[in-house]
Amino acid sequence: MNQLLLIVNIAGQMVALRADDVQSVIELDSLIAVPRAPAHIAGLSALRSRLLTVIDCQRSLGMESSGNRKAGAVAAVVMHDNHAYALMLDAVQDVTEAWSDPAPVRAELGDGWDRVTIGMVETEKGPLVLVNTAAMIAGQEEARAA
Amino acid sequence: MDDLLAEFIAESREMLEALGGEIVAWEENPGDRARLDSIFRFVHTVKGNCGFFDFPGLLALSHATEDALADVRAGRRRADTALVNAVLAIIDRIADMLTAIEAGGDLHEAGDDALIAALEPVAEDAEIVEKAPSTPAPDSQPQAAVSQRSVRLPVELLDRVMSGVSDMVLARNDLARRLRELPGEALVKEPFGRLSAIIADVRDAMTRTRMQRVESLFTVLPRLVRDLSAELGKQVMVDIDGGDVELDREMIEIIRDPLTHIIRNAIDHGMEAPALRQAAGKREIGLLSISARQSGNQILIDVVDDGRGIDDSRLVAKAISEGIIDAADAARMSLRDRIALIFEPGLSTAAAVTAISGRGVGMDVVRSNVERIGGAIEVDSTLGQGTRVRLRVPLTLTIIPALTVSIGEQQFALPRSSVEEIIEARGGAVEISHLGGAMVAKVRDRRLPCVVLADILHLQGSVAEADRNLVVLRLPGGETFGLAVDHLHDHEELVVKPVAPAIMATGLYAGTTLTDDGNPILLLEVGGLAQAGGLKTDTLERNSRQFKTAEKVQDTQTRQLLLFTGLDGRHRAMPMAVVDRIEEVGINAVEFGPDGMLVVINDRLLPLAGAEGDQMCGETLRMFRLSDGESEIAYGFREVMDIASLDGDFVHANEPGDVAGTVLIHGKPAELVDPHGLFERLGNVRSRDLAPVCRMPAGDAWMQNFLRPMVEANGYRVVDESEEGNVDLAIASESVPEIAVGANRVIRLRSQPDELPEDPYSIYRYDRDGLMRALRSGTGRR
Repeated sequence: MNQLLLIVNIAGQMVALRADDVQSVIELDSLIAVPRAPAHIAGLSALRSRLLTVIDCQRSLGMESSGNRKAGAVAAVVMHDNHAYALMLDAVQDVTEAWSDPAPVRAELGDGWDRVTIGMVETEKGPLVLVNTAAMIAGQEEARAA
Repeated sequence: MDDLLAEFIAESREMLEALGGEIVAWEENPGDRARLDSIFRFVHTVKGNCGFFDFPGLLALSHATEDALADVRAGRRRADTALVNAVLAIIDRIADMLTAIEAGGDLHEAGDDALIAALEPVAEDAEIVEKAPSTPAPDSQPQAAVSQRSVRLPVELLDRVMSGVSDMVLARNDLARRLRELPGEALVKEPFGRLSAIIADVRDAMTRTRMQRVESLFTVLPRLVRDLSAELGKQVMVDIDGGDVELDREMIEIIRDPLTHIIRNAIDHGMEAPALRQAAGKREIGLLSISARQSGNQILIDVVDDGRGIDDSRLVAKAISEGIIDAADAARMSLRDRIALIFEPGLSTAAAVTAISGRGVGMDVVRSNVERIGGAIEVDSTLGQGTRVRLRVPLTLTIIPALTVSIGEQQFALPRSSVEEIIEARGGAVEISHLGGAMVAKVRDRRLPCVVLADILHLQGSVAEADRNLVVLRLPGGETFGLAVDHLHDHEELVVKPVAPAIMATGLYAGTTLTDDGNPILLLEVGGLAQAGGLKTDTLERNSRQFKTAEKVQDTQTRQLLLFTGLDGRHRAMPMAVVDRIEEVGINAVEFGPDGMLVVINDRLLPLAGAEGDQMCGETLRMFRLSDGESEIAYGFREVMDIASLDGDFVHANEPGDVAGTVLIHGKPAELVDPHGLFERLGNVRSRDLAPVCRMPAGDAWMQNFLRPMVEANGYRVVDESEEGNVDLAIASESVPEIAVGANRVIRLRSQPDELPEDPYSIYRYDRDGLMRALRSGTGRR
């Protein structure tokens, strides 16, 4: 089973998303802040007449807010529980095949990465962390509260 | 009624069509149980509906068939050819009758008796059976139905059209914006206007197709209630109101199950058995009222019973033992919070699991189903008096008229239905004052509590405080408050979309919407704003919710107030609902206890409020006797002046206490007494200390009828053996001696006066003086 992966940069790291999870990669048209929402929710955006909830991945990892919380940022659109989300990315690299199934990560990832990692996959670009988009959407505060 | 009839006919037709194949298959193989079942279901449904619509002929036919088929199902009878033929003949006849009903024609019921007779098991006589299947004479066949033209559509299709219409509105808005920017606008203005009008028309029509009267949900309820109460051995009268309220078709389907569940709970757990009701001084027949009404963009569906109410202390105890909350949480919880524990998964106070409810599908599921569609569920209960469950469901799913406002650069939308008034700052119509932390706006002669949107949202406003505009919002409960915003914008029709759960969780937003230019705008949730702004709407509402047995819940918008002069000479107002009666006692009935004043009224010792020692002059003291249904408080006054009604707005007091705030009545300010605060301070602790508890067997009719009034008159709270543990006094009879376990004192009743009292606590049951002495010695008059 050779899964297609989308290789992206989140919080300065090169990581992989399952291509099946990602509907499209867009530049955010607009970004409207949601006052008093959890910190990792950067705001709302629209893709045509669809509404996107924009996730600041860096913040979801427990780091500082992304400096790029504004219109024009690159984001991956994923569906979760019938809501469309846009995960903010630093950059999009490539689409590639996974050479292996996700394997447990032996090293300490740190910085909240553990929470959002499915496992390690081998690719032509070397081993990459495969990101669990649902955990990314949930954010750190919620995960802790639950 | 016509709608219902059409619905009935359409439904029956649909079943008949589906049945066509089944009938044939059954004819071939009469032993086929599955076919038999579906035919049985059909006649059963027709029978049920006939009773409602009053078609006696149809009822007789379907009833007879149902009986015959029931015999077959129960194995009392074999499905022979004769029976199959007779049933088929009747089903054909039912189809004819439906056509006749639809066309409004005569039913020609003359031949029906023969059809019914054919169902009877006739021993080895095929003669009659052969005749029976012949359908009635052809001339009774009315002309094909032309009066009713209707189609049944899947809701998904309607949804698709509806969402198409929604997007059309969006596209129109977008186009409108672009057109405004174009130089040649005048050229397209007229056709565009026409297009807009058409879209509006289509949308209205679409919205209507989705609407249905709640009646269709309510019609099945009397039957449900009857069946349930019969099964549970209870007597329940059902009162249904508001069936003409319209609600989104899909919404009706979604709330069907939650509503059924709530009604089951009310009958199973809420209503007491007739004997218990009688013992509690209620009518044997319980009253369950189910009503629907529209309030803004919500439909409120109330299910009110006059049963035993929810025992919040038991709930709390259970929740603590289940580890859902800890004791510290419990101490902090308000009554409403405690009652809301019934929504916790896995928490049921049902002593026994019955077939009706208490099987694990709990109120938590009901709540999540209701919340899934943007609704809410609230429970109010008064122990011993009843419970009210209120479902709030949004009227429609998609488009709402909204007012857009802004803070700084960011726009927000408010549902137009909650907006009562818009007051622009420059008009000078508002006078804002700050009372401690609270902000109050004076609008004409009304005072409104206010909140500042920028503060609630933790945003930086862009205008000076004096330049803020005020939007007067109305909460679903009817109270109003002011919301200060930077700027006011347009009235727009907005297509509302749900927001992600994490955003919903803030409680501040009801959804989101896209503007003309495709930017998202957050739709604010009015109730959430009031809550976040710290408005004490909950206590306001709470007070008006005292409801009495078999009485409808009072409208929350107007409350009766008793105006009076306090002992200190100040004008005060007391909610009428809490005043039980007015008492007058001699001044020497007042005692000074260690933590406050007490007054003796008719052998009962009540906490006294509203009086300071030096304010009492004269020989007597007049007071209100206040009751929350459980405990009582006396409240001293000098003079009653008037009765007035409060319509929702008053200035909240900054500090919690006996005064909730100040109201303006007939142009004069009066302090509104806060019964909630009063009872919180004096009611619980004191009266529990005061009222000694007496345990007597529930099953002993003599004690309950003869003795209990006397015991209660002496200030005891009477419990029965279901309440274990320590009590002040137990009264035991010869047959139930074990009642005395755990009691501080015991009275044992004997039925003969002349028996030798070996036991010092034994008293002849008609020895009134002896009983009185025994009762008095324990009331702990200190």
